Amino acid sequence: MTDALRRRIANILMGHAAYVMPFRKMDWGKAMQNELEAIDDDRVALRWAFGCVIAGYSERLNALLQAWYARSALACLIALLALREFFAPLLIFAYRMKYPGLTHFLGLRTAGDDYHRLIPVLDATPAWLPVLWSAAGLLFLVALWRMLRRADGSVAPFFLAFGLDLVGLWAIQSVQASTGVVITPNPVVRAAGVLLTFSAGFLLWRMTRKRTLTAS
Amino acid sequence: MGRKSIHSSQTDRLLAALREDAQAWRHGYALMKQTGLQSGTLYPILLRLCDQGLLEAQWREADKPGKPPRHVYRLTPAGLAFALRQVAPSRKRITSLREAKA
Repeated sequence: MTDALRRRIANILMGHAAYVMPFRKMDWGKAMQNELEAIDDDRVALRWAFGCVIAGYSERLNALLQAWYARSALACLIALLALREFFAPLLIFAYRMKYPGLTHFLGLRTAGDDYHRLIPVLDATPAWLPVLWSAAGLLFLVALWRMLRRADGSVAPFFLAFGLDLVGLWAIQSVQASTGVVITPNPVVRAAGVLLTFSAGFLLWRMTRKRTLTAS
Repeated sequence: MGRKSIHSSQTDRLLAALREDAQAWRHGYALMKQTGLQSGTLYPILLRLCDQGLLEAQWREADKPGKPPRHVYRLTPAGLAFALRQVAPSRKRITSLREAKA
């Protein structure tokens, strides 16, 4: 790569970094951009520009996460994650306690729109697994409650719930293998669920982490 | 009740650099060279310090003609007090660790 090309890429990146900075911090975007002009070494300039793009996106994300709509969207997502955790225990409970109406209603929300194909799994699921999922659901609710109250300590219950969810996911694989029934046939959907949960946790961490430097 | 400090080692490095000759104004690039921090780490810290009133920023005309004005930074009195409080203990810790290793 030639020095001229490096400088050109640096200028493009720098323009982008200044563009993504939040409106209130536009001055800083300009400051970073002007600083590039003072860097003579093109390699250093390119590295500088890359760093500024990261800084720009970091500030944009911070600003976005403080907006009411971002908080509301994240709260809805965590609520949905909690509901998802309670779904399987409720279906197992309804099936085992012989509530056909409720079982049918919940079965309509499963892949294939019918719970009958899941009966071998519902029979074979060990009793501790619904307890684990319920605990994960409760922890998601705790995280949601603390987030809405702007209280400290919402990230730990969230990731604990996520951990329990992963244990549950791992445990249900063996149940599926022994019964030959696959609950969610599409692996992309399963992977997307895990990725979505992790992303929600990351956003929650970014939203709630302390940005103060002031010591006691 | 005060809040728990969450300052990082990078923040400490920057505060230590700004604390040396605290009255001097410095450019972002000079701070990067002095601290070894990359711009992606340096600017968010500078922004955070500014937001909390620990750092002041100003526009200054460039030394070279034809170049755009540049942002310069220095600690506010509150920032200097904070830097003295925060950086000194960590330096003491490093010194005592070095002594222990020796």
